[in-house]
Amino acid sequence: MSEPAIEMRNVRKTFGPVIALEKADLVVHPGTIHGLVGANGAGKSTIIKILAGIYRKTAGTIRIFGETIEDVTPVAIERRGVHFIHQDRLLVPTATVAESIFLRNEPRFGPFLNHRHMRRRSKELLHRYFDLELSPDTLISELSTAQQKIVQITRALAQDARVLVLDEPTAALIDKEVKSLFKVLRRLRDDGLAIVFISHYMSEITEICDTVTVLRNGVDVGVVDPREVGIPRIVEMMTARNTSEMYPRRAVALGAPVLSVRDLTCEPYFRNVSFDLHAGEILGLTGLLGSGDKEVLKALFGQLRTDSGEIHLNGERVEFRSPVAAVSSGVAKIPEDRRAHGVAAGLSVRENVSLASLSDVSSRGFVNRSREVEVVSGLIDDLNIKTPGPDQLVKNLSGGNQQKVVVAKWLNCNSQVYLMDEPTVAVDVGAKIEIFELMNRLAEEGKALIFLSSDLEEIVEMCDRTLVIYRGEMIADYARGDIDADRLLAAASGAPAERGTPAPVRRSA
Amino acid sequence: MSVPSHTTSRPAFNLEALSNYAVLAAFLAIIAFFAIFADGFLSLDNLVSIILNKVVILAIVALGMTLVIASGGIDLSVGVSIDLSSMVFVMLIAAGYGGFVGAVGGLAAALCVGLANAALINKLKINPFLATLGILFIGETVQRVATGGGNPIYLTRGQYAGTFDVIARTEFLGVPTPIILMALCIVAVYLALHRSVFGRFVTVLGDAPDVARYSGVRVGFHTSIVFVACALLSGLAGILLSSTVRSYVPLSGDAFLLDAIGATFIGTAINSERRPSVVGTLLGVLLLAVMRNGLLLIGWNFFWQQVGIGVLVFLVLGISFGLRGRSE
Repeated sequence: MSEPAIEMRNVRKTFGPVIALEKADLVVHPGTIHGLVGANGAGKSTIIKILAGIYRKTAGTIRIFGETIEDVTPVAIERRGVHFIHQDRLLVPTATVAESIFLRNEPRFGPFLNHRHMRRRSKELLHRYFDLELSPDTLISELSTAQQKIVQITRALAQDARVLVLDEPTAALIDKEVKSLFKVLRRLRDDGLAIVFISHYMSEITEICDTVTVLRNGVDVGVVDPREVGIPRIVEMMTARNTSEMYPRRAVALGAPVLSVRDLTCEPYFRNVSFDLHAGEILGLTGLLGSGDKEVLKALFGQLRTDSGEIHLNGERVEFRSPVAAVSSGVAKIPEDRRAHGVAAGLSVRENVSLASLSDVSSRGFVNRSREVEVVSGLIDDLNIKTPGPDQLVKNLSGGNQQKVVVAKWLNCNSQVYLMDEPTVAVDVGAKIEIFELMNRLAEEGKALIFLSSDLEEIVEMCDRTLVIYRGEMIADYARGDIDADRLLAAASGAPAERGTPAPVRRSA
Repeated sequence: MSVPSHTTSRPAFNLEALSNYAVLAAFLAIIAFFAIFADGFLSLDNLVSIILNKVVILAIVALGMTLVIASGGIDLSVGVSIDLSSMVFVMLIAAGYGGFVGAVGGLAAALCVGLANAALINKLKINPFLATLGILFIGETVQRVATGGGNPIYLTRGQYAGTFDVIARTEFLGVPTPIILMALCIVAVYLALHRSVFGRFVTVLGDAPDVARYSGVRVGFHTSIVFVACALLSGLAGILLSSTVRSYVPLSGDAFLLDAIGATFIGTAINSERRPSVVGTLLGVLLLAVMRNGLLLIGWNFFWQQVGIGVLVFLVLGISFGLRGRSE
């Protein structure tokens, strides 16, 4: 085979005591599209950031077209023709297409910018590679996400890119745009470019990639041909477990109703939501983006003022004017935005875990440090939180372990109702299963859970009952076993066939 | 990211751990430097004078600032608390009410500043920087109006009749009273910030206010207490200031504002979380005080002292934050 475009060998990266990348190889040849897959925390973004010169490697060698590079910097790597299309680092919205394509590479006419050349070249490139008739004077802010992606790629091509690294390039694209992006990528590959393609979508990996490197826990566990081995095998390599072990739901006998909601209305988000939540129950809640499902949780946690309706907790009518009131009545929430609402990232695991139950480890207003360490260490072992110790800062943990910290915080206090808003989002598969196990455990202890997720399979597998919200209306209430992911999606999308058919919304148990 | 299962101990020697000692090392180096080059620096008289004249008041203000910054805020109005407390204290004594009533009146004035800040921040949701800046402007005007355009109030020996000296110039068990007051404040703020449930909530508030809110922490209450505590500590500093100089000089409190903020931030360099702490702040205060005193002793004038301190701050923070950055 030809000389590799990228050859990373035995690359290692540690952050203090935390190992982000244990020992991984990434070898990409010219004229191929090479996939890079792995669960969250496997080290995908770490290895790419090392290649991009954003992180400095702890050990290992990096060769670009046979040339060993010791000190990888963003400039050095770009000079060798390696270009990165980052997922979030977009373009300057107020710049034009031509300006963006020639950013940091502006053609000059003496000391002045050669605008005429910039515009002509931009037009040419866009037409040649993408068959796109786009005026070079269009502002970036006027382009669709897909067009912006194309401008980013064109910018790399204008600088004679020999390697393209695309980080989740399809995340914000619609189907048709994905198809045309793939057409372009294939053409570039046939022109001899080396392309690294990072994606969570397995179907895309098998569709476009010639070879795939699978990472797990900071180690490359294999380089495979995705069409040959198939998706299930790749997922197994990523997670080291069978897909059947994914959802360990154990149903428990339901107890008395803990939370009863009657005709709860909060305009303009939702109307007339009614349900009963029992001890030991996991109640699914789902809907499309903007359907009002999240707002139901917010209202139950005192983050939204309701217009009418009643909430009863253990038979007593309650009205939460703030999260503080909800917490003190025994309602806990695992918020969706972990970084902003779930963990204090700059504080230690100990300080985060003990936050909601501090009164248990303190006396007369003073924290008993040794009791606190004891309790927190117990929870760390119990939940298998991977941290060097209770005093490690939470920001140094992986996403899944941060999420376990959020759950741990609420385990030890006397909450009865747990509102979980997308607890498994951006969490790797292993941690996901552990979070499901925790949900089981809470249910077995007689707690009542509301589980909101947009991953319908999770809902189907984990919940005793599922409520579907569509445009603020509670349109369906399914018992476990009545439902599969497809029907749930149809209901969430407002398909008429699903609106009436299942048992009418249950008013009381 | 993954962690090996048995990494319980950190390597004993690494840059990050070392970076936490940069402030302490700088402090010791500076003491050594002045001990050699500044005549009389290490004499007991000079050391006590550093503490009495340069440390006590700044330390008390900086303790309040530490609480506020730990909660994620900033208080630009500490000078107003100092001045209004000092003004009311001196005016009451001048009117013949005596030292005790004067001190209570002074603290009451500071309390008003703290409550005003708390109301602006929690009720009107103005961010702490702008809320306290507004109070700073208003406070300055109040002083000018009350003193006929900013005239100092000097009292005759007959008027203060020992009240100032009881506070500033007596000793208890051989220790000057101001140092005892400072020590009490240090212990109180240390216990509150680092040992109590209240302090833990304040710390979480400073790092992630929404997390605190969603965990059931009463954010408004804690913010209010922090700003009131800062104002009261500054008020106490104002009373000490007036007692030391036996007068009230309008707008003299603002001199402590930037030093208090500076000491707090210098102090964040001593722990690996880079967060405000009582020990760190005290080290910051000592560092500033020793620098001022030492540079004076070796004959630098005031303007060049400021340059020296500026360079010192860059050095200390550059070393501690720089080393830390390198180790990632």
